[in-house]
Formats: sequence, C-alpha cells, structure tokens
Amino acid sequence: MSAVQLAASSSQQTPHRQRSLRPLVRLLIYAILLLGLAVTLVPFVWILLTSLKPASEIVRIPPTFFPERWTLDSYRTIFTDPKVPLARFYFNSAFVAVSRVLITLFTSSLAGYIFAKYNFRGKNLLFGFILVQLMIPFQVVMIPAYLILVQLRLIDTLWGLIIPSMVDAFGIFLMRQFISTFPNDLIDAARIDGAGEFTIYRRVVMPNLGAPLATLGIFTFMATWNDYLWPLIVITTHERRTLPLLLTWYTSQHGQRYDLTMAASILVLLPILIVYIFFQRWIVRGVALTGMK
Amino acid sequence: MSQVAIARRAGAPRKERTGLRPGQRVFVWGALIPIFLYLGVFALFPMIWVVVLSFFNYSPVRVGDGPFGLGGRNPFIGLGNFAAMFAETQAGQLFRISVKNTLLFAFLVLIVNLAITLPLAVLVENVHNRVKGLFRAIYFLPTVSSAVAVAIMWGYVYHPQQGLLNNFIKMIGLTPPKAWLTDPAAFVFGVPLAMIAVIIAYVWMDFGYNLVIFIAALQGIPHELRDAAHIDGATGWSEFFHITIPLLRPTLLLVCTLTMISSFQVFVIFQVMTGGGPQNQTRSLTMEIYENAFRYQAMGWAASMSLVLFAMVLIVTLVQFRILRTDWEY
Repeated sequence: MSAVQLAASSSQQTPHRQRSLRPLVRLLIYAILLLGLAVTLVPFVWILLTSLKPASEIVRIPPTFFPERWTLDSYRTIFTDPKVPLARFYFNSAFVAVSRVLITLFTSSLAGYIFAKYNFRGKNLLFGFILVQLMIPFQVVMIPAYLILVQLRLIDTLWGLIIPSMVDAFGIFLMRQFISTFPNDLIDAARIDGAGEFTIYRRVVMPNLGAPLATLGIFTFMATWNDYLWPLIVITTHERRTLPLLLTWYTSQHGQRYDLTMAASILVLLPILIVYIFFQRWIVRGVALTGMK
Repeated sequence: MSQVAIARRAGAPRKERTGLRPGQRVFVWGALIPIFLYLGVFALFPMIWVVVLSFFNYSPVRVGDGPFGLGGRNPFIGLGNFAAMFAETQAGQLFRISVKNTLLFAFLVLIVNLAITLPLAVLVENVHNRVKGLFRAIYFLPTVSSAVAVAIMWGYVYHPQQGLLNNFIKMIGLTPPKAWLTDPAAFVFGVPLAMIAVIIAYVWMDFGYNLVIFIAALQGIPHELRDAAHIDGATGWSEFFHITIPLLRPTLLLVCTLTMISSFQVFVIFQVMTGGGPQNQTRSLTMEIYENAFRYQAMGWAASMSLVLFAMVLIVTLVQFRILRTDWEY
C-alpha cells in the first residue's frame, strides 16, 4: 500500500524498448504466458459451461467438458424460483455498494483536501490516527462494531452494512497524496475571487480529482460488492441478503445440483466482470499506483 | 503500511504556522469534527473496546450488571483469555491449531505467489506492448471476482469424481487424489492436502495483484542499467539476479509484507470451501474468531484471539519498517 513508493517507481516509465530475443526464446515466453492464461480462464469457462448443461448431464462420470445439449434450464430454474427474488438481491447489493461509493468519495476527498492544503493545530495527530487505521485488520474491530450496531438497532438492515464504513482511512490517505500535488495557485486565485472554502473544494478541487476518485470509487464498489464476512454477521433476514450471502445460501440448498450452483455463481460474478471490462485500465493502473487491495 | 514513513517525508516542508482564518476555521472544523466524531465511534472505540473485552468472559446473550453489560455474569477475568490460549483445553488447542494453520497458509502462499508472479512479470515485460496489456488484464481477472463465487467454483473444480482437476489428472495418465478437500489422511510433504488445495485456489485468485505491482516496478527500472549490464556481457539469467532482483528489492519487500498481511486475514475461501475441515486442518484464525464470536457468542475469547491476529499483522509491519530503513537508491 505504500502509494508514493510505487507511484514514483512507475511514473518514471522509461519508454520500453523492444530487445531482440531469439525466436525460440520468444516462442517459449509466449507458450508460458498462454499456459498461464489457460489456467486463469479455464475455471471460469468450466463453470459457465456447467451452468449450460442439463441436470442429467452434470452427474455423468467422467463429466463432459462441453455440454452435449446446450440449455438455459438452470438459469430458468433460478429466475422462476419464488424463494430467490433475484431483483431484490441485486438491488440490495447495488444499493449498499453505490451508497458506500458515494459516501466514501465525499468523505475521502473532503478530509484528504483538508489534510493536504490546510495547516491547523492537531493536524499531525489526526492524520496519524488515520494512518494507524490502515494497520487495523477488519477482524480485530468487527466484534465491537457489531455490538455498536446492536445498540443502534441497525442489525439486519442494509444501513448496517453502510453506516460502519462511511469514512475510509485509505481513501483519505490516497486523496491527500493526490491533492498535495495540486497547485496552490489555483486555490489561492479562487480565494482572491471571493470563493468560500467549500465552494473551492467543490468547484476547484473536486473537478480535478477525476482519476483518483474513479480509482477509489471502483475499488470501493468491488470490495463492497464482494464483501462477505460483515454481511454474514449483520444480515439475518433472507430478503435482505446481498449476493454473496445469497450464493452461499443457495449452494447450501442445492448442494449437488452443480448446474444450478454454477449458474448462480455466474449470476453473482457477471456484474463485477462487466464493471471490470469497462474499467479495466483504471483498475489495473490503480493497483500499480497504489498497491490497493 | 509504510505510509507513515512516506507521509512524514511528503509533509515535511512545513510552512507558516499561522493557522486558519475564521472562514477557513469553520470549513476545516465543520468538516473534520463530524468525521472524527464518527471515527471515534466506529474506529477508536472498537479498538479500545476489543482490548477491554479481551479481559472479560463476555457474551452478549448474558446480561452483566455493570456498565456496557460487563461485570456480573460477564466477569472480569484478567489475562484469563490469554492464559486459555496455552491451556490444554479444547478451545486452547483449536486456537493453537488455527494460528499454526494461518502461519503455514501465509508462508506457503507467499512462496508460491512469488514463485509465480515474479518470473511471470519478467516474461510479460518481454512481450510486445500491445499484447502485454491483454495478458495483464486477463491475469488480473480472478482478483476482482467475488471470493464466495471463487470458493464455490474451486470447490467444484476439486470435486473427486466430477471435478475438472481430477479428470484432467486422469486424462494425462496420473492417479488423482481420492479427495482434495475432505481426506484428513492425505499429506504432501507434511502439509495437509486440503490446505494445499486452499492455497492453490487462493493464489489463483490473488496472484494478479502482485503481478501488476511487479510489472509496474519492472517498468520503472532505468533501461540504462540493463543496457550497461549487457555491454558488460550479462546474459538473461545474470541480468535477472544481479540487476532486476536487487533493484526490485523495495517492491519485493512491500509485496511480501502485503501478501503476508492479507493472507493472515483470509476468511471466505476457508469458510466456504472447506469449513475448516477435514479435522481442523484448514481452520484459520479468522474462522476461529468468527465462529467463537458469532456462533458461540464467546466474544471475550474471540476478542482476545483477534488481538493475536492484530499482533501478527503488527509484527510483519514492524519488520518491514525495520528493513525499509536500510537504504536503497538507484
């Protein structure tokens, strides 16, 4: 996570010069890389193909790789299962993820801006507290966090998934790093023009934070969408489950029906894969820049 | 993790200590007071409270007569929870097994991960720019996937009869293991087979992170250095060991730290794929904390175990700081 370190090392990207490798070596390199590609992709392809097989074909030993008869039966079964109101679960996941993204972006950029551009008493102490937060594993604070939610009567609500994580220490740190490089002249000019401090944040600073906000936003979205442990603790009512919770529940109900459980896995994976395809550059660059995890 | 050092460097030139003008004061404190009040409740209080709980035999289902439900039937037991970690009780044994498993898991994940990502990053660096992006994007794909879906997917890949892996092993003419995830008597080099299966699935899911970080770091190595090495007659291997590896040292250290720390905190893949079995061979510390806190409601005991997890993270971080102090410049 040491952002600057990596940012520094990757910003000085010297133009890559293609060195001449012997054809045989080149062939070998591509062979290894393609093998890696296969290992990465085959499990995805395998579950996708499994979800497209009829139930009778699943139990066959040895199994078929490609379906002998292609069918959407498994998806049809899930879509028509009255115990699986899919739209509800997609909504739950999307509501929690989008809320957390918006709130995190706001609090991170605001606090990050203040830590980057203002001098005040207690600043180092407060920022030090933010840095300490980065070192605390979630499992360490989850028990007290749960007890707080009980007191606030937020157990078994979607808000219980949002409210404990409205301020993200890493987000504040990341924003502070970016805003530190932002020229003071622009801020001062706006100030001379009589702009209020919040207006400067909203009109001058925010519009220049496109890249870091996008990166932080995508990562918050993916982390929330895939989060399992906290929803597992907080949510008990079936209708309030998020997609990962739905998936383990569904699997526990249909253990041996791999056509169904793999189809359900595909349904959970699909949205995040679509997000990834669209934002792939941002995501990969974000990791390279920040080591975010 | 190494942010502290960086922050200190980045914030070094402190300008005038004038403080804030009135309008700025309203803005700064108007924003920071709510944020830090919030953090007081959801960050500082939990940190303190987890320490407090670790000194009590606390369960939320019992009503204590003291403040915050402590005392009475949730008695103060001093270091009792920590003593119990070393006791020959079932709870103590499970705790020690889970710590051992977590350390074994983190150590093996680190080795396997580095053994894959470092060479792979060098190879990706050597292919044409246009396909490089494609390789990188696809290798990164598993890391964005839902851990639950990955665990369920790999559970099926490991299925003894129908699974992809065993059928592949049979296809190439070898004898596959009887069961990957459920056979307590299967070991490879003394490591339970189920643990190896979890490690493979986790590395598959996670290697993209380190790969991307290594590729970025490799791109940062000044080409003059490599060219100079070439003029001096360095070949591929000696270049790798004498130029690339030493220059990657800071990145390598960072990656090792992050990989260790995140491996300590892995939960989903254990919980969903093996449930800790067979015979607790894949029971992780995180699972032990979760189950005690939320299944058995033994929150004091779980709190003390989560402090052990914190200590593990802290030690790795401090070691990294310590090594980072030694200078590296190029």
